[in-house]
Amino acid sequence: MNKRSLTLTGAALVAVAAAAGAFAFLHEPTLDAPTADAIAVLDANGKRIGDYRIPGDNTIAAGPNADAIRLGQRLLNETARLLPANVGNGLNCNSCHMAQGKLSDANPYINTTNSYPSFNPRANRQVDLTMRINGCFQRSMNGKPLGTDSTEMHAMLAYMDWLRQGVAKGDKTAVRNAGPIDESLVPDPERGKTIYAAQCASCHGANGHGMKDQAGDYIFPPLWGDGSFNIGAGLARTYKAAQFVKYAMPPAMHLEAPLGAGGVLSDQDAVDVAEFFTHMPRPDFAGKVNDWKGVKKPKDARY
Amino acid sequence: MKLLLKLAFAGVCGLGLSYAIALSTPYWFKPRIEASVDITDATLIRQGEYLAHAGDCIACHTAPGGKPFAGGLGMQTPMGTIYSTNITPEKDTGIGRYSYGDFESAVRKGVRPDGTHLYPAMPYVSYAVVRDDDIKALYAYFMSSVSAVRQDNQPTTMPWPLSMRWPLAYWQLAFAQPRHFTTTVTDAQLERGAYLVEGLAHCGACHTPRGIAFQETALADGANSPFLSGSVLEGWYAKNLRSEDTGLSTWTTAEIVDFLKTGRNDKTAAFGSMSDVVEHSTQHLSNEDLTAIATYLKSLKARDGRSPTWQLKENLTTAALKAGDFSAPGATSYVEHCAICHRMDGKGAPRIYPALAGNSMVFADDPSSLIQVTLAGGRMPKTPHDTMAFTMPGFASLTNREVADVLNFIRNGWGNHGSEITEADISRMRHEIARKPKHFVPGEQK
Repeated sequence: MNKRSLTLTGAALVAVAAAAGAFAFLHEPTLDAPTADAIAVLDANGKRIGDYRIPGDNTIAAGPNADAIRLGQRLLNETARLLPANVGNGLNCNSCHMAQGKLSDANPYINTTNSYPSFNPRANRQVDLTMRINGCFQRSMNGKPLGTDSTEMHAMLAYMDWLRQGVAKGDKTAVRNAGPIDESLVPDPERGKTIYAAQCASCHGANGHGMKDQAGDYIFPPLWGDGSFNIGAGLARTYKAAQFVKYAMPPAMHLEAPLGAGGVLSDQDAVDVAEFFTHMPRPDFAGKVNDWKGVKKPKDARY
Repeated sequence: MKLLLKLAFAGVCGLGLSYAIALSTPYWFKPRIEASVDITDATLIRQGEYLAHAGDCIACHTAPGGKPFAGGLGMQTPMGTIYSTNITPEKDTGIGRYSYGDFESAVRKGVRPDGTHLYPAMPYVSYAVVRDDDIKALYAYFMSSVSAVRQDNQPTTMPWPLSMRWPLAYWQLAFAQPRHFTTTVTDAQLERGAYLVEGLAHCGACHTPRGIAFQETALADGANSPFLSGSVLEGWYAKNLRSEDTGLSTWTTAEIVDFLKTGRNDKTAAFGSMSDVVEHSTQHLSNEDLTAIATYLKSLKARDGRSPTWQLKENLTTAALKAGDFSAPGATSYVEHCAICHRMDGKGAPRIYPALAGNSMVFADDPSSLIQVTLAGGRMPKTPHDTMAFTMPGFASLTNREVADVLNFIRNGWGNHGSEITEADISRMRHEIARKPKHFVPGEQK
C-alpha cells in the first residue's frame, strides 16, 4: 500500500465516521402518543377481569353499525339543533355528559348500556334505557320524549353500546358517573352567588342565560330561566349539581385532556354555588306528581 | 514533522492571542460609562419599575415558583441549558455591589463587571438602544425597590469547550456593537413605538429570524427587512409581526392593543411564551405606549413577494360539519376533541375560546406553535381585565397521524390555507417538548 492510498483510506474512514456521527446526532427516533391508560373492567364482585380503553371516534368507521353510531354521536352532541321538536331549551345531552360521554365524573356513557334496566328510586320502579333517555328529554331538556323505536333513539343507543367496547352485561368499567361531595355541608346561597360571579358568569352570563356561539347554537347552556332545565332534572338538586360543578366545571382550567375541567372549587364552594343556581327561577315539571311516590325523598329533592 | 510542530506552535500562539484580545475587549470596544444616580429618588424608581415591566426583566429572571428576579429559569439552547441570573440587589449572589457603570455595561453591552461576556439569551443587543435616562431609572429601581434574595446562580449545562465564554467577545464584536437609537420616522407616536419595540420590549429577540451565528438578522426595520418576520424559539413560533399576509395584516391596531393589554381579544388569545410576556410585561404598559407599539407594528411594510393583505378562501367547512359530513381527514377528530370549544364554525367564543377561522396563528408560515399548543396545551395570561383566564388542554394522547390530520383540517378549514403538517413534524415537536429545560428553584429537586 503506498502512501497515497493510505491517505485516501484514512480520509475515507474519517468521512464515514463523521457521517455516522452526524446521522446519530441529527436522527431522532419517531416519538408517538403513549399507549392510553387502561381502565379496569370489574365483574359483579369487583374483581378486575380485563382492561378498557376509551375508543377514539376514528375507530367507528371500521366497525359494524357505523352510520347509526355516528348519527347517535351527532344527536348527543347537538341535540337542541338536530331534535328541536324534542328539546324545549338550549341544552344538549352532552352539556352534562361531557366530552361525548367519555369523561369520568362528568356522567360518562361508558357503563350506560350495562346499567339498564335498573331500579329507579325517583320512579320507584324498574326503568329501561329508553325510558331513562326520555326522562332526560322531559326534565333536563324540558321537552318531549323521543319515539322508543325511532331511528334517533336507536342511534343514541348504538353510540352508547359502541362506547362500552364489548364489556359484557353484568361487568362494569371502573369510571365514576360523579365524584363524591360532602352532603352534610349546609349550603350558603349568598356565598354561592359570589362564587357564581367569579367562576361561572364569564361563560354562563351574569343573568344565567348562557351564551350562544356565532352560528346561533348554545356554547354555554342557560343555567336558569325559561331556556334551562326544569325542576324535575337531577341537576336541579343541590348536591347532584354540586358533584357536577366540583368535578366537571369550569372547563379549560388546566392542561389535562379532554377538557381541562374541574378541580377548582372546594366541596363547600360547589354546594354553595349549586344551591344558588339550582334555586333560581326555572320551568316547572308537570310530571313531578309521579315522582318519589312511596319512597323516602333525598334531602335536596325539589318537591 | 518540523512543519507540524511549527503549525502547532502557531496555533497555540494564535489561540493565546485571540484569548488575550477577547479579554481586552471590554476596555477598548465597550468602555464603561460611570454616572451618579440618586437611587432614592421616588419618581426615578417608579419610572424604573415601569421600564422594568417594559423590558420584561422578571419573566426570564424569575423561575416558576421562585422569588422575583432571583434567577434560575432554564433556557433551552442547542448546546445546553442556560440559567438566568440573580438580579436582586443582594451583595454576594445578586447585583448589590454593581455601580451604575457595572449595571449599564451588563444591560446595554452584555459584559459583567469582571469582564465576563454574557450569553445573548440576555437581550443586550436590543437593550443597547435604551437611552441613558431610562437605564438610570432602571438602576434606581433595581437597587432600591427590588427585594434582595440570596440565591446562587446556576452554571450552564453546556459541556466544555462550549461552556467557555471568552469566544463570545468575538460574537459581540460582530453582532453586538454599542449603538444608539436612531430612526427615520418623524411621527412622535411611531418613534415611541419603534423605541420600545427595538429596545426594552426586545420583540425581535423572539420575533426576528436568527442567522447562522444565532444573531438576529435585523435589529430595526428597513427596506425589505426580515425584522420581526417570525422565528422559532423553544418550539414556539413567535409570529410574523409585519403588515403582510400571515403577519399582522388581519389584525387592527385596536386588536393588537387589546391583545397586549389583556392577553386576548375577540379572535385570539396569547399562549406559550407570549402569555408570559403579556402577564409580566405588556399588561403593565400604558395605553399610549401600547398604541404606539401597535401603530409602529402596523407600519412595518410587507416584504418583496409578500402581499399586504390576506385572502381567505371560501368557507365550506361549517356547512359540512353541521351536515354531519366528517369525511375530510381530521374532521372526525375535530368534532370529537375540538368542536365543543372552538365550535363547528371555528369561531370559538370571544375572549374565552380563540377562533381558529381567520386566526393568523393557525395559518402561520411555521406551524410550530400550533403543533406545540395542541400537544402540550397552553394558558392565557391572567390580567385584571377579565375575571377568568382559560387554558387549552394538551392532546399528546392523540397519535401523530391524528394530530397531523386535525391540524391540517384546521389549517385549511373555514377558508384558512397553510402548508401541510406531517407526522414527522409532530414527532419532532414531541422531542422538543421532552427536551424542555428544568428550572432551578432552591428547595426543589433539580
